Amino acid sequence: MTLSLHVDNVTFAYEPARPVLQDVTFDVARGTFLAIVGPNGAGKSTLIGLLSGQLKPLSGEVRLGDASLRSFSARNLAQQVAVVRQEFVPAFGFSVSETVMMARTSHYNQLGFESAADRRLVAQALERTDTARFASRPLAQLSGGERQRVFIARALAQDTPILLLDEPTSFLDFRHQVATYDLLKSIQRDKGTTVAAVTHDINLAAQYCDQVLLLRPSSDGPSGGPGLYRLGSTNEVFTPAELQRAFGVPVFSAPVGAERVFLPLGKMAKDAAQASPSLGSHGPSTESA
Amino acid sequence: MLALLSPKTLLIRTGAALLVLIVVMLACALVGTEHVSLRAALTAGNDPGAPNPDYEILLRVRVPRIVLAAIVGAALAASGVTFQALLRNPLADPYILGISSGAGLGVILAVISGITWTLWGRSPLAVFAFVGALGTVWLVWGIGRITGRVHVTGLLLAGVVVNAFFSALIMFLASIARGQQLYATIFWLMGNMTEEDFFVLWVAGGFVTAGIVALFFQAPRLNAISFGSADAQTMGIDVERTQIVAFALSAFMTAVAVSLSGLVGFVGLIVPHAVRLVFGPDHRQLLPLSSLGGAMFLVIADTVARMVVAPAQLPVGVVTAIVGGPFFLVLLVRYNRKVQGLS
Repeated sequence: MTLSLHVDNVTFAYEPARPVLQDVTFDVARGTFLAIVGPNGAGKSTLIGLLSGQLKPLSGEVRLGDASLRSFSARNLAQQVAVVRQEFVPAFGFSVSETVMMARTSHYNQLGFESAADRRLVAQALERTDTARFASRPLAQLSGGERQRVFIARALAQDTPILLLDEPTSFLDFRHQVATYDLLKSIQRDKGTTVAAVTHDINLAAQYCDQVLLLRPSSDGPSGGPGLYRLGSTNEVFTPAELQRAFGVPVFSAPVGAERVFLPLGKMAKDAAQASPSLGSHGPSTESA
Repeated sequence: MLALLSPKTLLIRTGAALLVLIVVMLACALVGTEHVSLRAALTAGNDPGAPNPDYEILLRVRVPRIVLAAIVGAALAASGVTFQALLRNPLADPYILGISSGAGLGVILAVISGITWTLWGRSPLAVFAFVGALGTVWLVWGIGRITGRVHVTGLLLAGVVVNAFFSALIMFLASIARGQQLYATIFWLMGNMTEEDFFVLWVAGGFVTAGIVALFFQAPRLNAISFGSADAQTMGIDVERTQIVAFALSAFMTAVAVSLSGLVGFVGLIVPHAVRLVFGPDHRQLLPLSSLGGAMFLVIADTVARMVVAPAQLPVGVVTAIVGGPFFLVLLVRYNRKVQGLS
């Protein structure tokens, strides 16, 4: 049973005077693939923290179905929500299979060992993420891309209806970026999992995601209030005008096949001088929604 | 098939290690400056009228001391494993959060104040060391909490500061102490084994065994906490509860060990490392094997300590440091070579 995710008037601040998120309200229907995008410091990772119960909102609440996240024990929450954080290596040399099996810790028997069902889930997760080949190797010996897949495998082995990811493709090359998103998409399709991923890759998000949450930091510097946000379908939110407003750089877009690609353009970029003539037709002036 | 620890493997390995420990303890009981015949000790028995020297040496001198070394070694190694996991730092040892300096301060206070009373047959040194050790852990834990969000860093910093401050106090008290007092303190700080009576051994052994068994049930959670408290929490672990339980258990075991034998160094650092290098980081296995390994290591080290400069005796802490350092280096080099050869 998959529960929908509701964010209700949530405000959060690390320092009381400077809220990172203020009065954020949105719903994520079950089975949605949501991209969370926005500039650095807009509160994307903070939002993942709030959605996973790591951070407690100052006001408002995050709900799973009808129940507030606060009412879940760590154990019950872990059966609903799995999280893949930005890359992290533990202090000790755990192997891939040991790492993935840890997702089942809260299901272990009295003696602290896994059941046959746990083993099955872990084996499936390893298969699915193509990590079974190096299941017995220590985590530290893997490449960044391989390790990222291991942590996705661990989240899969948790067997939750909701999967949160913080920049799952940040260290990956083209092939692994695409492989990761293909994997997430197939999980969403096959199991009806709700997937929410923080990403800086607008183009991958445009290709794979159903909905986008675009977070914007405040327009008037660090002393100003918190930013605004916008939730909508990929086509609604991903427009040059909207992106330019959020990121504060000129953004151009061009159709490529059925997809639309987005490019930022800095002042010193090679194309900047002739930007208007060569890319102008797709620029913000003509594309703004 | 997944290469994971099975209960059967764990049971076999733990049983084998226990067997080796018993053999080591027996062997160490039979070596020493005086030749002892096991048969003579056992057959003649102990007749108060005609004292049997073999029996006296074996059961009143050597066995208690060997059992004590085993208890202390197991307690320190198990605490080392736990502290390394909780602090996610392979350089952590049972003394990292100031237990050693707290106990040391307690001892030097007991020595200087000239207290002579005893508590349940324990010398004031042991009582003060125990109270000092637990008091310090409590203090460090409290300071670590106040410092806020990054709990592990706060704890480590609090440990470092308290350690430094208490060490300064120890230095100060040592500088105003008289020669004989100073000698007693320094001997204690180096760590050494004495012949304890069986009642003390039963109680301490019971506490330490119970502590290790209780820690074993935290082992799966310690595995998850190795990935950081945020990760552990999203995997469904009550991180705070696990931290408190594991800290309390290992601090208590360390305090017991320290009050029995002074500051025996290196056991809590190198034994968990050595076991981890050979058998991997899974705490369900690391904890029991390190406990038994720590016991073995300290029994052997203490046997060396009472033999090398006989009839005088070295403090066992000196032996653990001298033997442990190079032993650990060899292991590290060999293991790294093996890993490179494989990959």
